[in-house]
Amino acid sequence: MSSSKAFNPYDMAQAQFDNVAEILNLDDATRQILRNPLREFHFSIPVKMDDGTTKIFKGFRVQHNDARGPNKGGIRFHPQETIDTVRALAMWMTWKCAVVNIPLGGGKGGVICDPHHLSMKEQEQICRGWIRQMARNVGPLQDVPAPDVMTNAQHMLWMLDEFEVIHGAKYPGFITGKPVGMGGSLGRAEATGYGVIFTVREALKNMNIRPQDTTAAVQGFGNVAQFAIELYQQLGGKVVCVSSWDQNDKCSYTFKKLSGVNLQELLKITDKFGGVDKAEAKKLGYEILDGGAWIEQDVDILIPAAMENQINQDNVNKITKRVKIIAEGANGPTTPEADKVIKEKGIFVIPDFLANAGGVTCSYFEQVQCNMNYYWEKDEVLGKLDVKMTAAFHAVSDLAKKRNLYMRDAAYVISISRVAQACKDRGWV
Amino acid sequence: MLNENKPIDNLVFELQERAKELNCLYMIEDSLNRSEISLRQAFHTVINAIPPAWQFPNICKAKLVYGDIVYQTSDFEETKWSIKSEIIVQEKIVGHISVYYLEEVPFSSNVLGPFLKEEKKLLDTIADRLGHFILHQKLKTVFNEFKTVREQVGGSKKGEWRIVLDMIRKTDPNLFMSLMRKLLHLLCWKGVEEAEMLMKHTSLVHKDSGTETDEYYDDNRPTKVSKIMDYDQYVETILRLVDENLPDEIILARIQKWIQEDKSSTLVKVVDNQDTSLTEIADAIRRYYHIAPEKFELPPSTVKGLRVSLLRRFFTEHLDYISVAKEYVKLTDFYKLIDKMIFPAGSHGKLGGKSAGLFLAAHILQKEAEHNDILKDVKTPKTWYITSDGVLYFMQHNNLEEVLEQKYKDIDEVRIEYPHVVQLFKNSDFPSDILKGLSVALDDLGDGPLVVRSSSLLEDQMGATFSGKYKSLFLANQGSKQQKMAALMDAIAEVYASTFSPDPIEYRAERGLLDFHEEMGVMIQQVVGTKVGKYWFPAFAGVAFSNNEFRWSPRIKREDGLLRIVPGLGTRAVDRLSDDYPVLVSPGQPNLRVNVSPEELRRYSPKKIDVINLETNEFETIPITRVLQESGMEYPNAVQIFSVLDGTMLRQPMSWDLDDKEKEFIVTFDGLISKTNFLKRIDEILKTLQSKIKSPVDLEFAFDGKDLYLLQCRPQSFSGESNADPIPKDIAADKTLFSATKFISNGRVPDITHIVYVDPQKYTEISEITKLLNVGHAVGKLNKTLPKRAFILMGPGRWGSRGDIKLGVNVTYSDINNTAMLIEIARKKGNYVPDLSFGTHFFQDLVEAGIRYLPLYPDDEGNFFNDNFFNNSKNIFAELVHEYNYLEDTIKVIDVPASTGGKVLKILMNAELEKGIGIFSEPSSEVIPEREVKENTEHHSVDHWRWRMKMAEKIASELDAERFNVNGIYVFGSTKNAFSGPGSDIDLIVHIDKKKCNVKELSLWFEGWSLALSEMNYLRTGYKAQGLLDVHYVTDDDIKNKTSFAVKINAVTDAARKLKIKNSGSSD
Repeated sequence: MSSSKAFNPYDMAQAQFDNVAEILNLDDATRQILRNPLREFHFSIPVKMDDGTTKIFKGFRVQHNDARGPNKGGIRFHPQETIDTVRALAMWMTWKCAVVNIPLGGGKGGVICDPHHLSMKEQEQICRGWIRQMARNVGPLQDVPAPDVMTNAQHMLWMLDEFEVIHGAKYPGFITGKPVGMGGSLGRAEATGYGVIFTVREALKNMNIRPQDTTAAVQGFGNVAQFAIELYQQLGGKVVCVSSWDQNDKCSYTFKKLSGVNLQELLKITDKFGGVDKAEAKKLGYEILDGGAWIEQDVDILIPAAMENQINQDNVNKITKRVKIIAEGANGPTTPEADKVIKEKGIFVIPDFLANAGGVTCSYFEQVQCNMNYYWEKDEVLGKLDVKMTAAFHAVSDLAKKRNLYMRDAAYVISISRVAQACKDRGWV
Repeated sequence: MLNENKPIDNLVFELQERAKELNCLYMIEDSLNRSEISLRQAFHTVINAIPPAWQFPNICKAKLVYGDIVYQTSDFEETKWSIKSEIIVQEKIVGHISVYYLEEVPFSSNVLGPFLKEEKKLLDTIADRLGHFILHQKLKTVFNEFKTVREQVGGSKKGEWRIVLDMIRKTDPNLFMSLMRKLLHLLCWKGVEEAEMLMKHTSLVHKDSGTETDEYYDDNRPTKVSKIMDYDQYVETILRLVDENLPDEIILARIQKWIQEDKSSTLVKVVDNQDTSLTEIADAIRRYYHIAPEKFELPPSTVKGLRVSLLRRFFTEHLDYISVAKEYVKLTDFYKLIDKMIFPAGSHGKLGGKSAGLFLAAHILQKEAEHNDILKDVKTPKTWYITSDGVLYFMQHNNLEEVLEQKYKDIDEVRIEYPHVVQLFKNSDFPSDILKGLSVALDDLGDGPLVVRSSSLLEDQMGATFSGKYKSLFLANQGSKQQKMAALMDAIAEVYASTFSPDPIEYRAERGLLDFHEEMGVMIQQVVGTKVGKYWFPAFAGVAFSNNEFRWSPRIKREDGLLRIVPGLGTRAVDRLSDDYPVLVSPGQPNLRVNVSPEELRRYSPKKIDVINLETNEFETIPITRVLQESGMEYPNAVQIFSVLDGTMLRQPMSWDLDDKEKEFIVTFDGLISKTNFLKRIDEILKTLQSKIKSPVDLEFAFDGKDLYLLQCRPQSFSGESNADPIPKDIAADKTLFSATKFISNGRVPDITHIVYVDPQKYTEISEITKLLNVGHAVGKLNKTLPKRAFILMGPGRWGSRGDIKLGVNVTYSDINNTAMLIEIARKKGNYVPDLSFGTHFFQDLVEAGIRYLPLYPDDEGNFFNDNFFNNSKNIFAELVHEYNYLEDTIKVIDVPASTGGKVLKILMNAELEKGIGIFSEPSSEVIPEREVKENTEHHSVDHWRWRMKMAEKIASELDAERFNVNGIYVFGSTKNAFSGPGSDIDLIVHIDKKKCNVKELSLWFEGWSLALSEMNYLRTGYKAQGLLDVHYVTDDDIKNKTSFAVKINAVTDAARKLKIKNSGSSD
């Protein structure tokens, strides 16, 4: 879009950082080192195309900061990739790893290309070419790539293979996002949804409320929502309604049952994309309401786990007085305007950044397991996830209480301060 | 023979009788066709085959007399109950064949005693067939004799030809006379005087004896033919002269040639004569093949002539078609074809467009396969045909002729009456000869499912693609023969009725084809497939196009072609799907896929499959997962069709994976594309057919797990004016509306006076589904209002998208059919490339209607998009479409001349340069065809608004005001202002008591009305809508503050009108 030409994600990421740096009162050198990436790689990847011609693709890797550990971040295949986007995303990865306190830094990479115009063979050549250029500067102890926009497990395996050929040994910990059995970790599917509820559980603990005395309304019925509901119900909580997108009617509906949603029976009438069969749900005694009805329910907890911008100016005032917690399972579900209202209402928000960090934590576990070439059972993965998420939550909420910060701000403050501290401890600044 | 209202039992009985008869005929035919069979053996077979075919086989005996020889069945006895048919060879009675009943049985007719009319006919047929057989045998004897003589005399000896002629004289006097005449002519040519004399005296040009010679040349009177007086002398004279004047070799060669020509002459005569019926042609072809002891080689010119004539009679008069087909279709092909044709006696019908296309394509591939292995083994399903005049015959039989006038009625009337026509047809009887044919066809086609396809004369011809306008129906073809017959007749009746359905009639009316004499041929085809569990379907099927008009990557060229491919029946590839996606592949670039990531593939892969359920006898659409779960291991070629999704990894499955209920399977066709030569085959087929037919083609195919079948082939239609336009350079920005550099097709769109622009940004900001839907409705309104072909539609994403409405304006073809051009503006969101409206019937409709299509990528570098023009020009939307004025921000209608000082918009496109540009310039001096403004709306509007007003009044009178706490109800918009169209809403304002009114309940009440009304409206007009009511609630506060729709109440202009409510005594 024409207006987006003016929008620069790197400027935005830096501005966001500057705000927090101000709160932390960071010195100039620290600000400088954190405002910019430590290292950047720009390189060309020649590829022999299927039609016999040779095409040169432009590749990047930005290693924003590795003070706390090897860089971690995805590789994007995007036709309109810019170095500034990659820089911004690399910086966000640094903060994201720091907020859950895992010993990794932030990185991001990519190739300017549109896989829609490339055959699988050509994509494989791009992956292998990327590794040939970067082989000396990435690795399980330096920089760990992962799948991202338009890349998936297949690309990761090609890259891993090329890396291992060059280095003449097996390094499964070099890359994450691999399939189970090829170095992937169990528990990945559950990780994000469970992570959300671990933080909710801790928040309730802080408020001295027993989970079995609470009710929740969930927006969305995809992977994150389904596992969040599963764990929440195990804790004794009652989900009063879920909303899901109806592919036929091209709109979403809220499925409500005051006695509590039965996850198993709902899953039986749900398609692969999280769409619940309306007619069947009615038979099971669900009340079918408008898709926006989830937000106006008289519940203790709201879990938006669908898309961005779902809590906005128009509906933020429909939130009932009873709501005590909003746990952001989705990315950016709350618009800035609505965020202000929520802040004023004094509702406790678990920001997306923290609430859905279960995903990145599980990636870290994948790498850990790979490095020792020993793979945990699912229970062990989820148990360790609980420990990490719980600790991360308390660190943020304690800080928020202590400094009287809004949860969202506290999360940023804690992660940036951790990275800044690491830089100082290493004697860089 | 078949009475109206005859109970089905009776009908079945008759069919059984017919089947017996046919069985008898087959047996006879079968034995007579054996080359080595002797007369004696043949006669035995014949008489023994007869009794079982008669009504009372046990007491039935047959006798055959040929010359002095008598053959009869065992225990033969002559009685008084008999029928007899004579055996005739070369117009002479040589014997007879008779059937006797030993006992008295009930009489079924007055004339024939205990025998049926059909039985007499059958006996005649057998006798006729025997006649041919005897002649054939005689000829064979002649040739054998000839061979023996030849061997005896050892090579050519003088006078050898005399022996030949002697024998011919004995066996075939007509041929002999004809040979004599020809010899005489030859002699005259050679200048033999005596021959000329003979000619004058005895031949056709001879006058009555006794008149003066030479005078007749001056006479205008017709010359008279004299009979040859002394036949023997005449013959002897000729033979002598021949002997004297011509060398032996020449005589022999000539005689041989003439004999051969004679064999085909009847066929040529019959076929060339436009008046002969198909029955006669069929007989002539059959006879030709029976007579010819071995296949004579006809002179090439005769063969070509015959082919052309037959093509013309069976398929089409189209020269383009004939000129190609005559090179590929052999006479034997017709011989095979007539056995599969069902036609009324005296039929002059054809097989229709679909049959013609497939017939030709199959034969081209067959011939080309001789030197191109990759084209080998492309099959076509076994098919029976009912000729196109079958429908007329059917209608005559049932006195339905008045239905023919249907096409001249008002389209609304056609639509309302259509269900009635269908019922009428379905409750009608089929003429007996068609029934007989269908019965044979059913036996021949076996037990698998069938598809009854329309093959009309208009369909697939004249560049007007009727694709899908007429019906194709699937039959499970299970159960008893009676049940199968009943289902088949039902289906054919429905296909027949579809000739009179509103859509094709409207389509024809638009193209001025109403007066074309439309007839409907029918193809009854085996459904390609295999049984998987209780379902029947092909492993996969689809459509293929020579030209790829939807290129999802710049690396794909137009000529790389396009495949739409689905698992199961191809219906899902042919039709535009609302909730599912076929897999698209370009055979020239098989590795470049539309969907790349596992998420995309999961989202945009086929989820459902069309199958025939053999248990319920229904055509069904079911989730693919159900088939896999029930019988995954049986699914043919499953490893080539499916991929397994494992986390974010998509891989080709191992065959033992397929019954794993835990795994998620996605239809990708990865195996088929990467591990088989299927795409290569399709590519070669497309290229071969394109080069032979000399037009890009469009195919339907299916694969049953073993073989590839071709189901349909027709030219890929595209508009004629495909010349590249020169693109002017250095046009000022303010004179340019946009420029485009991607996916350009050739052509120009001149003299656009109005632009309808749906603002992509504003459109994506709409959050209510109804508002999004109303954008489509408003466009439909504009389509009816703006000057036809003088406006263009520009909007975001995918027009007509029935997937995610956010991706594009929701319209049907009828909402846009008057536009000159459809422009889809693709503003990229992340990585999403809009799925453009290609390859579906919608797109073909655009092409056929000459509506140009252009995708615009304003965000691409080098492309210009004149945002200023849209922002600064006056928007006349609200003036044109009052009821949607709240969409004014989203939809802009710009009067180009008014906004540019008299200029018009021209769009020039050049596919070779991949450039398109929209510029403002002076109107062209060309004479612009008269524009049809508001053609439809005018004469409809009267009853549309009246009906709506009546309904609105009815609703108000039924509304329980006390229960719902309603204070008043008002009507406004098009209904009140009397300009409703067939698709208009009824706009109501409901004044409610804010505190007491249960809006939810009230809405539900209105919703019921709304849906009921829209259904009624659909029946009236054919316009489908999601409810017809547009209800707006206002409160006292609203009225006081004049907010929302309350402004309409008591407004100075265009005020809403109050309606009378049930319980409230008061009105205005």
